Amino acid sequence: MTALVVRAARRTTMFVAALALVVVVWESYRAVGPQDGGTIAGVRILPRTSEYAMPHVWDMFSRFGRPEVRGSDRTVFESVLAGAWYSFRLSAAGFVLGGVVGVGLAVLMARFKTVQRGVLPYLVVSQTVPLIALAPLVVSWGGKLEVGPFVWPRWLSASVLGAFLAFFPIAVGTLRGLAAASGSSVELMQSYAASWTKTLFKLRFPTAVPYMVPAFRLGASASVIGVVVAEISTGLKGGIGRLIIEYAREATGDPAKVYTAIFGAAALGLTMAGVVVAVDVFVMRNRPKESIS
Amino acid sequence: MTAVSIRNVSKVFNQGKPNQVEALRDVSLEVKRGEFVSLIGPSGCGKSTLLRLIANLLEASSGDVVVNDKSAAQARLDQDYGMAFQQAGLFEWRTVQKNIELPLELKGWDKPDRAARAKEMLQLVQLPEFADHYPWQLSGGMQQRIAIARALAAHPPLLLMDEPFGALDEMTREYMQGELLRICAATGSTVVFVTHSIPEAVYLSNRVVVMSPRPGRITKTVDVSLGADRNEDTRNRTTFFEAITAVREGLRGMHAAHVGLGNDDR
Repeated sequence: MTALVVRAARRTTMFVAALALVVVVWESYRAVGPQDGGTIAGVRILPRTSEYAMPHVWDMFSRFGRPEVRGSDRTVFESVLAGAWYSFRLSAAGFVLGGVVGVGLAVLMARFKTVQRGVLPYLVVSQTVPLIALAPLVVSWGGKLEVGPFVWPRWLSASVLGAFLAFFPIAVGTLRGLAAASGSSVELMQSYAASWTKTLFKLRFPTAVPYMVPAFRLGASASVIGVVVAEISTGLKGGIGRLIIEYAREATGDPAKVYTAIFGAAALGLTMAGVVVAVDVFVMRNRPKESIS
Repeated sequence: MTAVSIRNVSKVFNQGKPNQVEALRDVSLEVKRGEFVSLIGPSGCGKSTLLRLIANLLEASSGDVVVNDKSAAQARLDQDYGMAFQQAGLFEWRTVQKNIELPLELKGWDKPDRAARAKEMLQLVQLPEFADHYPWQLSGGMQQRIAIARALAAHPPLLLMDEPFGALDEMTREYMQGELLRICAATGSTVVFVTHSIPEAVYLSNRVVVMSPRPGRITKTVDVSLGADRNEDTRNRTTFFEAITAVREGLRGMHAAHVGLGNDDR
């Protein structure tokens, strides 16, 4: 337990130190870099250091505390928090959907080699489709979908796109984990005349856990990216993605503002990953410490 | 009373394909109830294949395998045997006790019954204080004892072991051999034991079956008349060395007049 605390403390320190380093680099360059950036033969190779291109870090943070628009009693912080919370719920829905689809596909592929041979290449191809191109399509398909009283809500398209990015690492990682059971442990289950389903739940899934945890971690951040990109490209209101474009439009007059939304998106991704890490620590608590991660 | 009866069994892998391998040719073997029989031979002689045919983890290409007076397939469904492998193969996410309970769980036993039996098995292998440990907290020898406890948990009449002590160091190995004999005496189990160590086979067995490769077949059977009461002194007895010599001659075929030099037990 103490070792765990020490490790957590060390990680936190490293995280803060890395963050501080980024701030130092940003501000140092801001202080010494040329106002117009560096140009060689008309090509700009260094960014400008003007107030508009690189606002001070403290300006970004102080912007959180000031009103969103002049005269409004709602601070930027409140708006960013509300937006991040909205996107978080969409991402969580996408993550759960992607998890169910990913694990389901992995089980099918592990059960039937023909399915694996037939489906796996398409899964790989599916990830090469640019999300930006797919987003409007999903929205328009969803809009046409109406099953009885069920009407496709606009936010669901964003979640579906999150799931679209999340399911892939989950499916691949879970499949690898399901196949990781040793030959003798499979024979052991056979010797007990255990059915395929029993073997799946008593042997294959527990064996797969160390493979599934990092896969789910990737899936969690992927679902956030999917949702934020979908919000941006479909203009869905309410989420952090929309805030990023709105604030970016004000960059000329209020350059620090867009960074608040970007920080919000980063915090959102970290929160999602953090939830998965917490689950990781819980499910792996009784495993040997030198197992794969 | 026969526990295992193998009649004219052959096994061919990848039949009809370019990589066809004849693993066993015309093998016959009877194992009486309560008997301890070792299968010994060089790699590729089909001893593990023969064990897997008895366990019904493989199907014979021809011939009959009868276990406990039923087909091997039925015996597997009835869990008439327990099995132990070279890797203890304990599930690392289960405590020692839960590992021992696994076969009982799959048989649908109630929780209190399972716990009681697991405790009993832990007593048998003399590790009662490790019930709540996880396998990775145990030494290799202890893990293997837990694996034996798991194999015997459902009180199967037959125990099938595939080089169970192969990964252990020599001292632990000899200790485990003594433990196995003690456990078998306590449970009255029939054992079919695959090994490539001649002293191990002789020390443990009533009968050592010598096999040779390409194709796998039984070339010799050596009866070991060391009696039921075996201990560390047994390893110094003349009968012990005579049996070792007999097995070694069997392994070398007819060219083995100069017994006892080199090529020890590997």
